[in-house]
Amino acid sequence: MIEGQIKEFTYQIGWRSRGRHPGRHASAQRGLGMDFRGHAPLISYPDPRRIDIRQTIRDPFDQVWVRIFNQRSAVPVFVACDLSGSMGFSGQMRKLEIAAEITASAAYSAFRVNDPFGFIGFDEQVREDWMFMSSTKVHGAFELTERLAAHRPGHIGAAGLNDVSQYLPRERSLVLLVSDFHTPLEQLERHLGSLMRHHVVPLILWDAAEYRNLPEFGIASVTDCETGARRTLFLRKNFRERILQAFDDRRSALEKLFMRFDMPPLFIEDGFEADDLTEYFYQFVAA
Amino acid sequence: MLFNTYWVLFLLPLAALPLLLERTHSRTYSWTQLLPRDRLSDLMGLLLKILAALALLFIILGIAGPHTAAQKVEKVGEGAQIVLTIDRSASMDDPFSGAMISGRAGESKSAAARRLITDFVSQRKNDMFGMVTFSNSAMYVMPLTQSREAILAAIDAAGGPGLFQTNIGSGLTTALGMFAKTPDSGSRALVLLSDGAGRMGTDAQQKIRDWLDRMNVTLYWIVLRQPGAISIFDEEYKPPEDQPLPPSIELHQYFKTLRSGYQPYEADDPQSLALAIDDINRKEMKPIRYMEQIPGNDFTSHCFALAALMIAALLGIKLLEVKTWR
Repeated sequence: MIEGQIKEFTYQIGWRSRGRHPGRHASAQRGLGMDFRGHAPLISYPDPRRIDIRQTIRDPFDQVWVRIFNQRSAVPVFVACDLSGSMGFSGQMRKLEIAAEITASAAYSAFRVNDPFGFIGFDEQVREDWMFMSSTKVHGAFELTERLAAHRPGHIGAAGLNDVSQYLPRERSLVLLVSDFHTPLEQLERHLGSLMRHHVVPLILWDAAEYRNLPEFGIASVTDCETGARRTLFLRKNFRERILQAFDDRRSALEKLFMRFDMPPLFIEDGFEADDLTEYFYQFVAA
Repeated sequence: MLFNTYWVLFLLPLAALPLLLERTHSRTYSWTQLLPRDRLSDLMGLLLKILAALALLFIILGIAGPHTAAQKVEKVGEGAQIVLTIDRSASMDDPFSGAMISGRAGESKSAAARRLITDFVSQRKNDMFGMVTFSNSAMYVMPLTQSREAILAAIDAAGGPGLFQTNIGSGLTTALGMFAKTPDSGSRALVLLSDGAGRMGTDAQQKIRDWLDRMNVTLYWIVLRQPGAISIFDEEYKPPEDQPLPPSIELHQYFKTLRSGYQPYEADDPQSLALAIDDINRKEMKPIRYMEQIPGNDFTSHCFALAALMIAALLGIKLLEVKTWR
């Protein structure tokens, strides 16, 4: 992927980072920032550059006061990507290609604001070969996205989501969770619980060919991507409507579940637009 | 139910293949569990498999060639088992003694005999005929058969020049041998057609007597008389001094001693030959029982038709198949 073609989005976090590395995000670290936190006596914070003359004059006890600021810190950004069979589904676009596009975009956006970027791929378990260690040097990540776009997953599930938290750092990070979430809701709920420590943004990849663009009429034999089970579908008006209804129900169920974890989801159906993600952060995350 | 080739039935388990194997051309779908249950779709899937299995089943059954067994129905009709024993000695090619009267001067005895016997055979629809010709030895022409064409062709083929000897004993034993191979239908006749006669040894005489008796065969002897020859019915005939009786009279005397039926005829022109044959025709009209074979029904084409129907249904469903998913 050529850097010029990578779409960039801006993101912010609604919490204070504990990262020591200077960056763009609100932080709990004292330092050379614009973020005024309060005053401290010069004795306890001996930084004469920051003596607050107005506060010192007003003090009846003649204490010399120093202003204290928080620096802005870097936040680790991760893309946790589902590599299960259903992600191999190709409708209007292949889901993994979109996932690769998102990964590249996230890596580039993180690089632009000096945040370290990491990638974790999982199917039935976390795949060590689909891992990119958190780093500010993101060129490896671009190589990985190329590999990702060409990946053809076998019949395999997505239970590895449960272990993703073990590969994330202890400090709170921004995790873009890319998946189609075609897993039972109870299982998903269990797995999401393990990611509560982090700021998770679920990016839900659905494809119009999965439900909206179904053929009007006909018989089709379909194989499940993950289990390999076969079914014969006799598509007709009634059945199509029921499929649409099932997907509508699924969408609201997913939204409800993610909102319970305070992780508003973003549905990506007709290709990835970085602006959508920027807008998402403006909408759901107070800067 | 019978089959022509039983071993093909060992392939029958192949018909289960569509049930066991999945269709190879199948689209991948991200998560089929998300699709709601649809009874009609499941039914259709099952129907496809069953249709394919049935199509294979009927093809294999068709190859095996199913049919029902041939049935035998006992019928009662008028007729007999008749063995024609025809003399082919050279003298048979001579014309009849009464040639001038009949107006068929050119017709030889054998030709007349063939013509009249052909008519005789054509009249009797239910009979079984066999045929033996003889001159110096017997010639086995046609075993007892119901096939009209075969026996008519055999009679037709009996013409042609023969030898100068008349070995009646051999002809009779060969003819009687035919009855031994065929079950008795109730009425059996041996028509011996000859001109003149030959002598038989006592062994042959005894054998013929035994066989005629045991097989319950009536003997009809039609003598085609030479012009001016001695009649076999001439009781007064005395041979010259120190001479044996002529062979025809001797044979007649011997035949008369048979316990089974015997009827001689003498014909010196085609009319009298026709009368003799008519007489035989009348006499051999006892009801006989015989088994008629009714062939079994062949179901091969039915099987293939059913298989074709199944395949047509499959093709019809194939036409309904989704071609443009996206």
